[in-house]
Amino acid sequence: MSEVQRRKYTQEEKTAIFDGEFMPHIDSMYNFAFRLTFDEDDAKDLVQDTYMKAFRFINSFEQGTNAKAWLFRILKNSFINEYRKKSKQPAKVDYQEVETFYNSDDVDYQSTTDLRAESVKDMLGDEISNALNALAVDFRTVIILADLEGFTYEEMAKILDIPIGTVRSRLHRARNLLKDKLRGYAQSMGYNTDEEEE
Amino acid sequence: MENNNLSSGERKLQCSDVSKCFQLLESILDGELGEEGKELLKQKLDKCQPCFEHFHLEQAIREVLKTKCTKQPLPEKLADSIRQMIHDVR
Ligand SMILES: [Zn+2]
Repeated sequence: MSEVQRRKYTQEEKTAIFDGEFMPHIDSMYNFAFRLTFDEDDAKDLVQDTYMKAFRFINSFEQGTNAKAWLFRILKNSFINEYRKKSKQPAKVDYQEVETFYNSDDVDYQSTTDLRAESVKDMLGDEISNALNALAVDFRTVIILADLEGFTYEEMAKILDIPIGTVRSRLHRARNLLKDKLRGYAQSMGYNTDEEEE
Repeated sequence: MENNNLSSGERKLQCSDVSKCFQLLESILDGELGEEGKELLKQKLDKCQPCFEHFHLEQAIREVLKTKCTKQPLPEKLADSIRQMIHDVR
């Protein structure tokens, strides 16, 4: 993802990269877009927009490097720009709040949770999805990238333009928030969240 | 298995450094430590009850996220329309 402009690709090379390295990620891209926007049309636009940009800037993509991370970074940036443009509400406020409160790399690991691994395993896909969707966008994003898409901390740092330490702490907080949601479901479904008392 | 309290009595009930331990476990679960992580993991889980519990919950959460999150089906014509757009600007 360096800024260095390489030699320009020929038309054939561009097509080969686009079809061979970019298009195979379209399912993941669409899923990511949908989980960011919660709207089929917006997700479609976002993915289309991302692929258009990817083609336009294809000379700054180094063939054989991580195309998926490169594409995700473009999509995430498009989303931020679109999102701020579209919603009159300053997404900025929300974002800055998140930055201020959650960006310190100092994380409290002392959380004692009564949520049990077994009750998590018993949950339905819809419950998991809903819990994920209920998280603020920054937290939702790191979980999507790490757990649904399998990106490494380093790749996530590049996609999100944040230091690795921040990736780590944001991910930790995101999962803790997710646990809170799941605990809520577990209790309402009558799953046992307490210690076994036989 | 039936005598949970006694058998887990071999594990410490207090973790000496929760922050460090949990951070390490999360790195292992996120695949950041590769093979090296496996031996470390075994040691932790054998020795420390809080680490053991934390690990299994975290593992379960990652697993359900990976396997159970509903995937949004790709709209039928999206890939074609993108190829068409690229073809047109070329
Ligand atoms: Zn420990």
